[in-house]
Amino acid sequence: MASVTLRQLTKTFDSTGHPALRDVSLTVPDGEFLVVLGPSGCGKTTALRCIAGLEEPTAGEILIGDRVVTHDAPAARDVAMVFQNYALYPHLTVRQNIAFALEMRRVPAREILRRVAEASDRLGLGELLERRPAQLSSGQRQRVALGRAIVRAPQVFLFDEPLSNLDAKLRTEMRAELLKLHRQLRATMIYVTHDQVEAMTMGQRIAVLHEGRLRQLGTPGDVYERPGDEFVARFIGSPGMNILLGVADSGRGKRTGGAVLRCGSLTVPIALAYEGELHLGVRPEHVTVCGLGEGAGDAEVRVVEPLGSETLVHLDAGGQPVVARVPGLFEVPDGQRIGLRVDAKRLHFFDASGARVA
Amino acid sequence: MRRWGVAVGAVAGTALLPLLVSGWAGARAERALAARIAGTTAAYIGLVTPAASGSADYDLPHLLVEAGALARLPGWTSRLEVYRGTAPLVRATAGSLSAATMAALRQQSGVLWWNGAALAPLQDKGARDVVGAVAVAGRPGGEVWRRGALGGIAVPALILAIVLAFGATHPAARRPVIRAHGAVALLVGVAAYANVRAVARDNTDQWLEQTRLLVQEATARLPTTDLAQLATTLRPMARAGGEGADLRPGGDSAAVRVRRVRFAGEPEAVVAIRVGWGRWLALRTLPGETTTGGWLWLCLALAGLSPAVAALRRWLERSRARPQRLRETLTAWGFLAPAAAHLAVFSFAPILFALYLSVHRWSLGESAKPFVGLENFGRLLRDPLVWISLRNTVLFTLQVPVTMAIALGLALLLRRHSLISRIARTAFFLPYVSSVVAIALVWQWLYHADFGALNWALSALGLGPVDWLGNPRTALAAVMVVSIWTQVGYQMVVFLAGLQGIPDAYLDAARVDGANAWRRFWRVTFPLLKPVTLFVLVTGIIGSFQVFTTVYVLTDGGPLHATDVLAYRIYQSAWGLSQFGSASALSLLLFAILFWVTWTQFKLLGKRVEYA
Repeated sequence: MASVTLRQLTKTFDSTGHPALRDVSLTVPDGEFLVVLGPSGCGKTTALRCIAGLEEPTAGEILIGDRVVTHDAPAARDVAMVFQNYALYPHLTVRQNIAFALEMRRVPAREILRRVAEASDRLGLGELLERRPAQLSSGQRQRVALGRAIVRAPQVFLFDEPLSNLDAKLRTEMRAELLKLHRQLRATMIYVTHDQVEAMTMGQRIAVLHEGRLRQLGTPGDVYERPGDEFVARFIGSPGMNILLGVADSGRGKRTGGAVLRCGSLTVPIALAYEGELHLGVRPEHVTVCGLGEGAGDAEVRVVEPLGSETLVHLDAGGQPVVARVPGLFEVPDGQRIGLRVDAKRLHFFDASGARVA
Repeated sequence: MRRWGVAVGAVAGTALLPLLVSGWAGARAERALAARIAGTTAAYIGLVTPAASGSADYDLPHLLVEAGALARLPGWTSRLEVYRGTAPLVRATAGSLSAATMAALRQQSGVLWWNGAALAPLQDKGARDVVGAVAVAGRPGGEVWRRGALGGIAVPALILAIVLAFGATHPAARRPVIRAHGAVALLVGVAAYANVRAVARDNTDQWLEQTRLLVQEATARLPTTDLAQLATTLRPMARAGGEGADLRPGGDSAAVRVRRVRFAGEPEAVVAIRVGWGRWLALRTLPGETTTGGWLWLCLALAGLSPAVAALRRWLERSRARPQRLRETLTAWGFLAPAAAHLAVFSFAPILFALYLSVHRWSLGESAKPFVGLENFGRLLRDPLVWISLRNTVLFTLQVPVTMAIALGLALLLRRHSLISRIARTAFFLPYVSSVVAIALVWQWLYHADFGALNWALSALGLGPVDWLGNPRTALAAVMVVSIWTQVGYQMVVFLAGLQGIPDAYLDAARVDGANAWRRFWRVTFPLLKPVTLFVLVTGIIGSFQVFTTVYVLTDGGPLHATDVLAYRIYQSAWGLSQFGSASALSLLLFAILFWVTWTQFKLLGKRVEYA
C-alpha cells in the first residue's frame, strides 16, 4: 500500500494546446478513498491516466509511496485501473481476463490459479469464469473488471467512472460493494466520477476539478458545507447552491460589523462588513417560504417540482433565479407571489471573481 | 366457393399438363419412327427388286413378291403396305392412294403422313421418278406410354398432385402444402420426361432392329463377297432412316443386342448384323434419347406451372387483404430489379452456361457441340499440364501469408497519423490501383537478364546475372514477388482499418496489466484482429488462385510451364486450344477448390470470432 502524491502536475495535449491539467498538487494518504469530481472535460480522467502512466505529464511530478514514477511505464507502477467501459479482453474468458495481468508478471501457474479463485470468490464470479465478456450482463462485467484489478493486489486502485454504464439500481449496489472492498483491502483508491452522489457517498475526501484546476480538496462535509469557491458551491448539491448577485451596503461603517445585501427583490442583512458587489450563496434547503412581505423579500413562483418527501420551488426574485426546498408536498400555483426567508446562519459569500469571502 | 372451384380446376388441370406433353412427344416420336421405317423400307425395296426389262420401273411380279415377303418376315412388327402407283400390293383389298397424295409425294420426295401412316416415296431404279409408295402405320396410341418409366411414379404422383392441388388452392392454403404440391408436381414432370426419353430410346431400338432384318434380307438377295462393297451397297438403306444413321463393316457377336456406345466422343446406338460366317456389319444411329433435353425443360416448366399458380394465388389472396404490403412488395422488387437483373445476366447466366459447356464438346470451329457427359472432367484429371498448373497455383498461393505478414507489419508501423506515414501509406497503396499490365512491364525490365536493374545490382556485388523470368527455377518466385508488391498496399489498408477498429481501452488495459509491446500485440491486438486477418486471408487466397494477368504479361505461363497457373490454363484451353468444354470444366474445378478452401478456413479460423 502506498500514498499517491501529485506535484504541480500539468498536462497539455499537442493537438489542442489547451492544458487539460494545470498545476494540480494533492496527496492521497495510504489507504484513502479519494474521489476526483468534476464536470466532463475538467481533466479528471487525464489526471487518472497520468497516475496510471497511460499519459506522460507535461510538467510536474507523480509519486507513489516515496518513489517518483512520473516517467515510469504503467507496468512499473503497480497500479490497477478499472476502465469506464471495463475494457475486458473480448477474446478471453473471465478466468483468462482476471489472470492476464498475473501472466504478464510471470506469476507461477499454481499461484495464478489460487489468486484467481480467491478474487472470483470475493466477487461471486465463480460460475462465470469460463464465459466470455459478451455473454455477461453489464453488472457482471463490472465485477470482472474489479476482479482483474484486485487479483493483482496493487498498491493503488484507479477507477475511471466505473459505474456510469450501470442502471440506477445496480449502481447503488455496486457503490456499497466498492466501499466494502475498500474496507477489506485497505488500499489506496482514486475514483473519478462526475456523479456527485457517488462522490458524497463514497469519498473519504473529494477533489473537485474544474478546467484542469483543483478547486477544492476536502471531506464531503467540507465541500458541501464550506465550498471553496462559487463553482464548487454551484456544482455540489442537487440542485446546487443558489447564487444571488447583489450589492452590499455597510452604510459607510454606520452599521457596526454588518451590512445590508440587496440582490434582486431580496434584502438580506448580513453579519459581514463589506462594501460593493457581493455574491450571496444559500442552499435551497435554507430558503423557506412565508407570507408576502414577511421575509427578506417577495418572489414569483415559476415552476413547482413535487418530489414526494420534499418540493422544489423555482422562483424568480427580481430577475434572479432562486430554488427553495420545502419539506413535504407544497402546492402553489405558478405565477403566485410569495415571501422568502433565508437562514442567516447558513449564508456563503463570494466576491465578483467567485472566490470565497469569509 | 365458386372461385375456389375454378381455381382447383385450373391448378389440377395444369398438374396434368406435363403428362399431356409427354403423350404428345411420344406420339411425335412414334410418327417419326414410322417415317424412318418407311424410308428405310422404300430403300430396301428399291435395292432388292429388279427392274422390268427395258425400263427403270420395277418388275411388278417381283415387287409383289418382295412386298408380300416383307409383310410376313419373322420379327417384322410394323404394319406395312406397298403401293405400286396408287394400288396396294400387300392387302389388295385395301384402299388405293389418291392421285393427289401421289402427286404430293412426287413433288416433295419426302415422307408424308397420310391416313395414320407414314408414306415414303418409292423411287424407280434410276431414282428419277416416284413409281409407288411404302406406308408404315404408327403403332397404337398406347405405345406412347412406357409403363416402366411412367407407371411406377407417375400414377401415384399424379393422384397425389391432384389431391394436393385441392389443398394448395384452398383459400387457407398453407405454405407447406404448396411446397408439397410443388415437390409432387416436379415428380410428375420428371416422370413425364422419363417417358419421353424412354419412348425415344425404344424407337431407336425399334428402328435398329427392323433395319437389321431388312439388311439381312437384302444380304441374302445380293450375292456379294466383299464386305466393304456390301456395306456401300446397303448404306442407302441406313441413310434413308436419317438421324445420322450409317452402316459400316465391323462389329461382332457381342453386339447383337442394341448397345449405347461412344464413338469419337459422340454417343451412338449401335447393333451388329451378321451377314455371313465371321462377317459383320455395324448399323449405327444417333440415340433418340440424347436429343430430348428440350423436353425435360418443357416438362419441368409445365410441372412447375401448377404450384406457381397456387403460390401466386395464395400471395394475391394474402396481399389483397393487405394492399399496403402488396405495394411494398412491388416497390421492393422494383428496387431489387436492376441489381437482380445484373446478377442474373452477368453472374448466374455465365455460371449456368459454364455448367452447360463443361459437359459438352464445344469449340468455335466445329458446328457439332455434342453432349459428352463427364468426359471433359476425365480428360482434365489425365492432363499432366492441369496437374502442373495446380501445383504452381498452390505454390503461388504461398505468397499470401508472406504478403499478409508484410502488410500487417506496415500497418503497425504506419498506424500513427503523421505526414511521413501518410505519404508512405499512399506509396504502398499505389501499385494496387495501378494497371497490372503497366506494373508487369516495369518488373519485366527490372528482371531483364541483360539490362535489368536487379542483375545490375547483383553484378555490382560480383554475382552472376540471373535470368529471373527465363529460368524455370526462379520464374514462379519472380512472379510471386510482383504479386506481393501489388497486393501488400491493399492488405495494409485493410489491416489499418482493422487496427483502427480496436478500441484503445484494450491496449491501455494491457499496458496497466503489465504487458510489453510484443505481448500487447500477440495477446491483444492480433486476436482482436482475427476477423480482419481471416478476411484478408480468404480474399488473398481466392485472388491468388485466380491470378492471370501478371502471369500472362510477365511469362506467358513459361518457361517450360513453370508459371502455368490454373487461370492461365483455363485461358489456354479456351482460346489457345479452342476447347471451351474443357476450359469450363477446369473453371468449375477451380471453383470447387476455392469453395472447399474458403469453407475450411471459415471452419478452422472462423470459430470464436467475437466482437464485444
